[in-house]
Amino acid sequence: MGLILWITPGIAVLLSRIVNNTKGLHAISVCASFVLLLTAGFATNRVILYDTLAYKLFGEAFFIDALSIIVLDIIILIGFLVAVYSVGYLNEECRHEKISQKKIKFYYSMMYVFMLSMIFAVTVKNIGIMWVAIEATTLASAFLVGFSNDKRALEAAWKYVIICSVGIATALVGIIFLHLASIDVVSSSNALQWDLLFDRAENLNSPVLRLSFIFILIGFGTKAGLAPMHTWLPDAHSQAPSPISALLSGVLLNSAMYAVLRILAIVNRNLGDSSFTGRLMIAFGLLSICAAAVFILTQRDYKRLLAYSSIEHMGIIALAFGLFTPLSIFAGLFHMINHSFTKSMLFLASGNLLQKYGTREISGIRGLLKTLPVSGTAFLLGLFAISGTPPFSIFASEVNVFLSLFYEKHYVLGGVFILLLAFIFGGIAVTLFRIFYGEPARGAAIGCGEINRPGAAVLAALLVIILATGLWMPDLLKGLITSAQMIMIGGLSI
Amino acid sequence: MEHYFDVLSVLILLSSFVLVSNKRIHAYIKTFRLQSALIALTAGVMGFEDVVNDGNYDVLVVCAIIIALKVILIPRLLHRTYGNIEYRVEKDFFFNIPILVIICCGLVVFSYFSVSNIGALSGLHINLQVVNSFSVVLIGFFFMISRKKALGQIIGYLVIENGIFVTAMFSTQGMPFIVDVGIFIDLITAVLIMGIMVIRINDQFESIDVNKLKNLKG
Repeated sequence: MGLILWITPGIAVLLSRIVNNTKGLHAISVCASFVLLLTAGFATNRVILYDTLAYKLFGEAFFIDALSIIVLDIIILIGFLVAVYSVGYLNEECRHEKISQKKIKFYYSMMYVFMLSMIFAVTVKNIGIMWVAIEATTLASAFLVGFSNDKRALEAAWKYVIICSVGIATALVGIIFLHLASIDVVSSSNALQWDLLFDRAENLNSPVLRLSFIFILIGFGTKAGLAPMHTWLPDAHSQAPSPISALLSGVLLNSAMYAVLRILAIVNRNLGDSSFTGRLMIAFGLLSICAAAVFILTQRDYKRLLAYSSIEHMGIIALAFGLFTPLSIFAGLFHMINHSFTKSMLFLASGNLLQKYGTREISGIRGLLKTLPVSGTAFLLGLFAISGTPPFSIFASEVNVFLSLFYEKHYVLGGVFILLLAFIFGGIAVTLFRIFYGEPARGAAIGCGEINRPGAAVLAALLVIILATGLWMPDLLKGLITSAQMIMIGGLSI
Repeated sequence: MEHYFDVLSVLILLSSFVLVSNKRIHAYIKTFRLQSALIALTAGVMGFEDVVNDGNYDVLVVCAIIIALKVILIPRLLHRTYGNIEYRVEKDFFFNIPILVIICCGLVVFSYFSVSNIGALSGLHINLQVVNSFSVVLIGFFFMISRKKALGQIIGYLVIENGIFVTAMFSTQGMPFIVDVGIFIDLITAVLIMGIMVIRINDQFESIDVNKLKNLKG
C-alpha cells in the first residue's frame, strides 16, 4: 500500500506525457495528488499505530517512521494544494499566451518527477539512496526554475544546478566518510542502512564520523539554504513560477534538512552529547538568520524577500536542532511544519500578485487589499504570521525555540535571537506593508477581483491551517512530533 | 597489488594537473576522458580482484558503466554541446597557468596534512591513495572557480565526481552497488541538463561566459 507513494507520481508523469489536452492534464495532476494524499493518510495512520511502515520488497528499501512521516505529510499536503493552485495559475498564464499547452505538459511532468524524488528521499532507509534522491530533486526542479526561459530565469537555473550539485557532492564525500566510519560495524550488504547505523551508533569510529558530519552539514546545508551557502536560493525562488517557489521553499528545503537530521541523530548518539554538532548547527543557524535580516531590509523584489525569509526560518530550524534538547527538537519539528505551510501560502499569494500586476517590484504594487481581496488578505496575514506574530503557528514554535534557549542558559544567544527576529519583523514591515495601502496605479488596467479562483480557495485553506495549529495543537500531531523527537534523541540522556 | 593502486592514484592526480594546465575546451574534454579511463582501469583491477577472491561481480559492472558513461558518452555529449555554440572566444581563466598549477600543489599538500590526521585512514598505502584522490576533489573545486566558461564548470563538476568516486574506491572499497548505480544515473542526467542549459545560455547571452550572468543580485 505504501508503495503507491512511489508509483502514483510515476504514473502521473507517464500520463502527462501522453495526454494532449489542457483539462486532461489538470485532471491527472489533481487526481494524482489526491491519491497521494489518501495514501499519506493511510501511512500516517500505520505509523501512529505501529511506529514504522516498512516492506520487505526491494531489499527493505521502503521505510517510514515518525520522523519521515512528518516531512512526507508536508510534501504531500503542500503538493496537493500546489496542484490545485496550478490549475488556475497555468490557465491564467495560458490566457495571456505566455505559455503553450506543450509547456503545461512539461510543467506537470517535471513537477511530478520533482514530487517523486522528494517522496523517495524521505521514504528510503539507505542513506546513499537518500543522497541520490536529493540530487535528483535538484535535477528535476532545474528546468522548473528556468521555466520562463528568459535571461534571468536561465541565470537562476544555472546557479541553482551548479551550486546545489556541487554542494550535494560535498555531502557525498561526507557519506563516504560515514561509510568508512561504519565499515567494521555494519556488514557490506547492509552498508549505510540508517536503522542499523543508528542502533550501533556507539561503535562507529568517532573522529571519522565528526569529519563526515561536517561535510554532510555543508552539503545538505547548501540545499537547505543555510548561509553562507544560500546564494542560489533567492535567485531560484524568485525566478521560478510561484507554485514551484512554494514547493521549493515549503518542501524541498525540508527534505534537505531531513537528511541532516538523520545523520545528526547518529552522530549525537555516537558522541554521547550534542556539543560538537550543536556548535556547528547553531553557528550556521545564527549566520543564516543574520544574513536574512540584513538582506530583507534592502529588498525591492517581494519574491526575493520571501526567499530570504525562508533562509531565516531554515536558520531557526538549524538552531533548534543544534540545541538538541527535547523541547528544542520538538520546537524544530513543529517549526518545520509551520514554516512550510505559511511560506507556501505566501508564495502562492505572491503568484496571484505577480499575475495581477505583472511586476516583481514592491514599488509597482499599491492598494492590494482592494484589487485582490482574498490573496491580499492572505498575504497580509501571512506576513504577520511569518514574522512571528500571534496567534499564528510560527509564533508558537518560535516561542518554544527561545524558551529552550533560555532553559539551557544561553542568555546571550537567546537575546541575539530575539533581537534578530524583531529586526526581521521591522524589515518586513518597512519594505512590504506599503503594498496594502493606497490606490492601484492609474492608467494601468488593473481590475478588482481574484483571477485564480481555485488558488484563492487554496489560500483560504492554508490560512485556516496556520491559524488553527497556532491556537490549538491536535493530539495526533503532538503524538507524531513527540515520537519523532524520541527517534532523534534515541535513548540519549539529555 | 597495492603498488599498482599507488601508481594509478598518482596518475589520476597527475591527470587533474594536466586538466588545470589545459587551455582549450576540447583539451579539457580529452583530459577528462583520460582521467575517466584511468579510473575505469582502477575499478577494473579492483573488480578483477573481487571476482577472483569472492566471486563478486559488482565492481566489474561498475567498471563497465564507467567506461560506457564517463569515457564514451559524456565526452561525446560535451563535444557536441561545444559544437553547438557559435561564439568561441577561447581565453578562459583568471590567472596564468603556472600560478594555477602552484595553487594546486598547495591543495595537494593541504589534503596530505588533513587526511593524514584521520585516524581510521592510517597505514601508509591507503593514506597515499586517499590523499591523491581527495586532492582530485579539491582540484575539481578549484578548477570550477578558476574558469569563466560554463562548460569549464561542468568539467569541474565531473572531476569532483571522479575524485569522490576514487576516494570511495580507495577508502572503503566502493559504495554499495545500488548507490553507485544511482549516482551514475544522477550524473548522466546532470550532464544532460547542464548541456541543454549551456546551449540556452549561449542563445540568450550570446556567450557562455558565466561572468555575464549578473542580473540577479542582493
